[in-house]
Amino acid sequence: MFIKILFSYLSGYLRIEVTGYYIERFINLCNSNHILTWNIKKGKNSNILLNIEIKKLKEVIKLAKKTKCKLKIKNKKGLPFLLYRYKKRKIFAISLLTILILIAISSNFIWNIEIKEEEGAQIENIEQDIQEAGLKVGLLKSKVNTKEIINKVRLKREDIAWMGIELKGTNAIIKLVKATEKPDIVPDNKYSNIISNKNGIITKINAQKGTAQVKVGDTVKEGSILIGGWMEGKYTGVRYVHAEGEVEAKVWYTKNKTIKYKSVEAKETGNQEKKYGIKFNNFEINFNKGVSKFNFYDTMISEKKFQIIANFYLPISIVETTYKELENTETTLTFEDAKQLGIQQLEEELNNEIENKDTIVNKNINAYEKEDSAEISVTYEVLEKIGTNEEI
Amino acid sequence: MKNNKRNRINKLLEIPQEVYSNVPKIVITGFDEMVIENFKGILEYEEYYVRINTHIGIININGYNLNLENMSDDDIKVSGKIESFDIERIE
Repeated sequence: MFIKILFSYLSGYLRIEVTGYYIERFINLCNSNHILTWNIKKGKNSNILLNIEIKKLKEVIKLAKKTKCKLKIKNKKGLPFLLYRYKKRKIFAISLLTILILIAISSNFIWNIEIKEEEGAQIENIEQDIQEAGLKVGLLKSKVNTKEIINKVRLKREDIAWMGIELKGTNAIIKLVKATEKPDIVPDNKYSNIISNKNGIITKINAQKGTAQVKVGDTVKEGSILIGGWMEGKYTGVRYVHAEGEVEAKVWYTKNKTIKYKSVEAKETGNQEKKYGIKFNNFEINFNKGVSKFNFYDTMISEKKFQIIANFYLPISIVETTYKELENTETTLTFEDAKQLGIQQLEEELNNEIENKDTIVNKNINAYEKEDSAEISVTYEVLEKIGTNEEI
Repeated sequence: MKNNKRNRINKLLEIPQEVYSNVPKIVITGFDEMVIENFKGILEYEEYYVRINTHIGIININGYNLNLENMSDDDIKVSGKIESFDIERIE
């Protein structure tokens, strides 16, 4: 039943008013002649309103004559009538068509390049290299040869381990994996020494191959030999080997900082002003002219590409400029406050540098009071494995 | 005699009665909607009163704003505020 009504919407239906004395007879006749009627409503006088299919109108007129009823078309509904109405609105139809065609054409171009780097790895100037390799905004999608671009970029740059280009809608997604810098590994068949890569005091040394050149308690500098790549025997003489072994040392990490008691800080007052503009590729239109009304402010510009659906960008972007009012505030710290602040900042920096925090043996904090500032130094004593192979 | 036999078979197979005979089936959903299957025709229709003829009797529906939605060959849907309905048997 519902489907029949839906089909009649596609082919068009009429809402008619039937007035007469034998209305019930009219309804029954409609029914027995297999004419679909729905939404029958009784009017105030001896009339009813009902919906019929458009192709059954002739039959209905005959039945109305038979039952001596007057028939009047109240409303024409359905798709054919809707289309007929829009036939008259030529400009609307033309503009709708042109917009559809424009969107269809513009979907063949690349309007946005998105670069995704693996886990926040920063690859510098990659955008420029990609552009030089031939992937630009506004290029026809079919002309983009992804393999060639990947080859060109990879030839030029050595710090990329993997690169992929995916064209999705008008969006080109470039995925990059940064190559990790590997230390030069000396092959096992070559003779090598183990040398120190940090300054520190040796706490443990265990030479599996080669001769230990330092003792526990020795102070070593960067670059000095820890395990020599040779072995001496009474009868065999000097024999060169590939040195192997473990060296553990106490290493110090020191950081210094000077914190002034008086400092001027710019703070946001919370007042902000927004200005908008539209950008077509490189052509920008600002809606508001002039500079901000604030005297002292911070400017933030954000650009948002116009997007119809996911991955379907158009070469139009909305530029939002936000001005945030700033205010200078002067703060005065006491020596204790400055010390605490300095220690906190330095410890954070050091914690970022040291990978394994369990190996920290000792912390040493020094603070000196000066006329207008506090000098703070924090030293961490860490037990670490040091030493790298180096070819002789 | 023949009809009787068919009736017995149909009962045995548990075929719904409204399928094999002209007996009407009345379904009331809530108090605002009523579907009558196997009806014969409409006898009277007013906004407050609908009289529907079936093969075994007449159904009278009283209420307000009664509309005849979805009318097809053998079922009819009456919607509106139904107050009461009664049956007149024809023997």
